[in-house]
Amino acid sequence: MITLSNLQKVYQGESGAVNALDNVSLEIEQGEIFGIIGKSGAGKSTLIRCINLLERPTAGSVVVDGQDMLALSEAELRDARKSMGMIFQHFNLLSSRTVLENVCFPLEIAGINQAERERKVLPLLELVGLADKRDVYPAQLSGGQKQRVGIARALASQPKVLLCDEATSALDPQTTESILALLKDINKKLGLTIVLITHEMHVIKAICDKVAVIEGGHLVETGKVYDVFTNPQSTTAQDFIKAVVNNKVPDSLVEALSAAPIAGGNLVLRLSFFGETTNEPFIAGLIRRFAIDVNIISGNIDHLQDIPYGTLLIELSGTDEAIQNALNYLKVQDLKTEVIGYVARHAHAAN
Amino acid sequence: MSQDMLMLLIEGLGETFYMVAISSLVSALLGIPLGVILVITGKGGIKESQVFNQTLGAIVNAARSTPFIILMVAIIPFTRIIVGTSIGTNAAIVPLSIAAIPFVGRVVESALKEVDAGLIEAAQSMGATPRQIIMKVLIPEAMPSIILGMTLTVISLIGYSAMAGAIGGGGLGDLAIRYGYQRFRADVMLATVVILIAMVQIVQSSGDYFAHKLNKR
Repeated sequence: MITLSNLQKVYQGESGAVNALDNVSLEIEQGEIFGIIGKSGAGKSTLIRCINLLERPTAGSVVVDGQDMLALSEAELRDARKSMGMIFQHFNLLSSRTVLENVCFPLEIAGINQAERERKVLPLLELVGLADKRDVYPAQLSGGQKQRVGIARALASQPKVLLCDEATSALDPQTTESILALLKDINKKLGLTIVLITHEMHVIKAICDKVAVIEGGHLVETGKVYDVFTNPQSTTAQDFIKAVVNNKVPDSLVEALSAAPIAGGNLVLRLSFFGETTNEPFIAGLIRRFAIDVNIISGNIDHLQDIPYGTLLIELSGTDEAIQNALNYLKVQDLKTEVIGYVARHAHAAN
Repeated sequence: MSQDMLMLLIEGLGETFYMVAISSLVSALLGIPLGVILVITGKGGIKESQVFNQTLGAIVNAARSTPFIILMVAIIPFTRIIVGTSIGTNAAIVPLSIAAIPFVGRVVESALKEVDAGLIEAAQSMGATPRQIIMKVLIPEAMPSIILGMTLTVISLIGYSAMAGAIGGGGLGDLAIRYGYQRFRADVMLATVVILIAMVQIVQSSGDYFAHKLNKR
């Protein structure tokens, strides 16, 4: 649906040229929700604006729905933009127009008459749950309601692509949830391709199918959300994931950890399990099969794209041989086992 | 006050009203597009053109820095081309309009600059043409500020119109100078001043009312 190849964007700043995007290539499929995550200044805003050419890349190509965007004339580009909706962090609603008039705006621009505009727009107000607010001005709405108007407005011209520029960053957590649910709903109902940029990993985790991680104008990692979450390659991705998945080793334990085996010591492991294996009672299996105790230090089990996913930090205590056997048993199981280190027995106050 | 003086006052009021109304209309018709052009050709505007913008800006500044009484005399040949005479009420309308156009231009420019750049970006993302952005986004969103700016212009024009007497333009200000000041008629002076104060009050209050009514922010 959207193919970005070798995008380059150079700004001429006062202190010389700034590379906002450097050789960025992306492939976004029809019907998927594609998230682009990066810290502020990473170039994600520039990247999403290169899709509808609000920013013109210095080099590279942008192909949307088979159309080479950079080859279009101004008039053709305006037509192409009508098949791409966009929503914004600060909503960008016209304060002088009512909700209905705001949502009608793209159709007015396209030269559609008023009766037809209202006929098309009223179901959209229904879809975003604001049918009763049609004659209210934006100033009287809450942030979440404003973004719903923004979404309805972006959908008015029946676009194939919806671009979301930090759409939930100005909203409180609860409102964010409801807006994300609405986006997911639209994606399913209308089969709309959604591209969103954010600096919040939980947004990616909540609704995206694929994610691209951007840093300093470079794409550092791209993949299915599930794969990036369970096996992040770049440190940037790892940092973002830490914010939503807590699998940190507690500080008190870190101090007592030793990388080398300690005779008669306990073994600390991190287990990561995905999909089907989440249902296996392997801790019970460990205890039953080997003469060891299992102490759970921390853990969480969550769902990513409806696939269960979890991590557990556990401490095994028993004889060295029993611990080794248990470790060998875990390694042949369908889960990821990481040895974190060893602690002397009782050095770490096992709770 | 005699019947004749009353007639003079009414006549003066009519002339002032006529001069201010026509020159306000002309300055709005030409000054608003001027303000739009200043904004869209300015830095980051939708039709950015620095050279054009700076040239136009310099002309606007030059016109604004010329004292009105000098402007009035300096453009007499131009006034003659436009209205066929260089004296009288109609002749006064030309310099009043010329003085007000750049003023309105700057007032409208600053009103339009207050419009959030995000709104322009949103309209662009929907495929709006520059003309649609101007007519459907910039002007409607800035309308309350534009109305307040026009109110300011009308009030300034009421003040300037007092100088129209210098070229035989008539009006209340001229009456105040000729009768109130030069013939020591304190009653005429007082009456013209009271009428002018009332005019300014009415203009300001109506401006405030409409600006408030249109402001949905």
